[in-house]
Amino acid sequence: MLGLAEIAEAAAARVVVAPAGARTVDRVYAGDRISDLLECSSASTLIVTNLASRQLVELAALMDVPAVCLLSGAEPDPELARAAEASGTALLVSPHDMFETCGRLWARLSGGRCAE
Amino acid sequence: MTVLDCEILGGDFAGAGRASQALKKALASIGVEAAAMRRALIATYEAEANVVIHARRGRLHVYFGPGQIDVEVEDEGPGIPDIELAMKEGYSTAPAEARELGFGAGMGLPNIRRATDRLSVQSTPGSGTRVAFTIRFRPEECAGSHAHSLRVDPARCRRCAHCLRACPTAALRLREAGPELLEHRCIDCTRCIAACATSALSMRGSDAGPATREGTTLVLPEPVVHQFGPSAGGGLAREAARRLGFAAVWTLGPWHDALSEATLAHATGARGPRPTISPVCPAVLALIAIRFPSLLPDVAPFVTPAEAARHELGAQPAAFIVLCPAERTTLTSTMGAPRVEVLAPAWLFRELGSSLPALRRERASAEPGAAPPARPIPEVGRDRVLRVTSVESVARVLERAEQGQLADLHVLELYACREGCFGSPLLVEDPHIARHRAALEVRAEETGARAVPRPEPMAPRPGLRLDPSMAEAIKKLARLDALVQDLPGRDCGSCGAPTCSAFAEDVVLGRALLAACAHRRAGQEEERCSST
Repeated sequence: MLGLAEIAEAAAARVVVAPAGARTVDRVYAGDRISDLLECSSASTLIVTNLASRQLVELAALMDVPAVCLLSGAEPDPELARAAEASGTALLVSPHDMFETCGRLWARLSGGRCAE
Repeated sequence: MTVLDCEILGGDFAGAGRASQALKKALASIGVEAAAMRRALIATYEAEANVVIHARRGRLHVYFGPGQIDVEVEDEGPGIPDIELAMKEGYSTAPAEARELGFGAGMGLPNIRRATDRLSVQSTPGSGTRVAFTIRFRPEECAGSHAHSLRVDPARCRRCAHCLRACPTAALRLREAGPELLEHRCIDCTRCIAACATSALSMRGSDAGPATREGTTLVLPEPVVHQFGPSAGGGLAREAARRLGFAAVWTLGPWHDALSEATLAHATGARGPRPTISPVCPAVLALIAIRFPSLLPDVAPFVTPAEAARHELGAQPAAFIVLCPAERTTLTSTMGAPRVEVLAPAWLFRELGSSLPALRRERASAEPGAAPPARPIPEVGRDRVLRVTSVESVARVLERAEQGQLADLHVLELYACREGCFGSPLLVEDPHIARHRAALEVRAEETGARAVPRPEPMAPRPGLRLDPSMAEAIKKLARLDALVQDLPGRDCGSCGAPTCSAFAEDVVLGRALLAACAHRRAGQEEERCSST
């Protein structure tokens, strides 16, 4: 289980929107296709994606996703941040690409164990 | 009941998800559990996204039924030329604009299929697409989640327990407060209605008349027009019905005949080791889905005659007289088809009771015409068709079919009511008499009657499973077997269950306490007395 601060620390990510209330995740799903994100979302999933779009935030709100992490330092536009704030979804931006961001998150979530 | 009706705009990517969001709110307000909610949202979002990506505009309708929601998304757009191809994962015709936003991955319809319990896709290239699906809440248990049309009115119950013994699927229990229906076991036949002298059990919506007659087609099952005595004849009743102010009156007789012919043709074409079952009686279809799922592939791939007529009527307003709860359920809950009004015969009897005598006098004073020639009863292929009526006999025949003992028969035409639909307890005339009169009647030529293909194969109803987990179910089965051995086996019904084995199942599933068995209590007391 990771809190918002732990996610940010692990991925060296910047927290753009931090809604009130605790946000925790126990799994991470990374992808750039709406259908995949929709199917793999849950109320305890962190979405990692390049899709810095309004639809993404709407989808996250629909599926009760607690937090979304954008990639490669992509600055989200103010409209996106406002939508995230309105829907109570945490928004982070990782300076790394998808591979490295996921690697870092994996290491933290699995407590430093290696994949078998 | 429609709980939601939303407009979806084509190309409005910013608004994608708005209709799904509205559905989420509605589902949350009725307390739908998380897993079902998730499936509903995935399917609805995908369907909504498809409209945004491909169509000019569309509408989302959500109908809320007992234990399930039916969702329909209709659009005006290019349509899907090859639905099978569109169902393939990764196949997409989405424009680049959509793909840049992460849409159009070719996973829409496959995702909807995975998330739903039923899916139907109809499309006319160049005009539009209609995607309709059903989400059942807690499908693994199904308890209380099956749509049915039986009304239980405990206040009228005299506790005679006739219904307990009448029910062919042991779906009724007699509690302190009156009868209780185990909805997942009910096949919507008419047995308990026939057995109940006080109308504590009846068909839903039995009292209502049609909301509007103007522009509406009235659809009558054949037996209904033969309920008015020897001089009325089917023709006279039909004429009287026409004078009730409807735009048109149809009878289902020709639709029955069309189904019989199509089923026989299908059976002759696809001759297997087991006979083909005619989908003529919706209660029998429910019985097969719940007790004989292995026979589902043997059901001819057509809809029932009433559904076929409804299909033909399209979006025109229609009022159907139905003779059983099963027909009512079929017409009120089938998806992907326009809603119709469903009425009980009692309403028609009231209406015609006043108009028929006048019409009869009018006819009597008119010039007597030549007696119409008797119509040959459509007996096409009768030597290859076995017609069985009444649900107990039907169940026995289905058992034989399942065991492969009916290889000599081509078609099974099975009806839950005695003498077919003529034996519905909602009718008044003796079934044999009414059937005889119907067989002799000259039928007015009605064009357009045909067998309509079933859009998707019938699915089994897993309602009788003891537990969603196989391991647990096996444990419960062992307990159930032990309990059946232990119970007196008198099937006395005093515990409120129809048989000792039904009671044992109630105990294992936590629906009843073992202490409710009076004989077991008495037996234990005796033992105690004799041992002291």
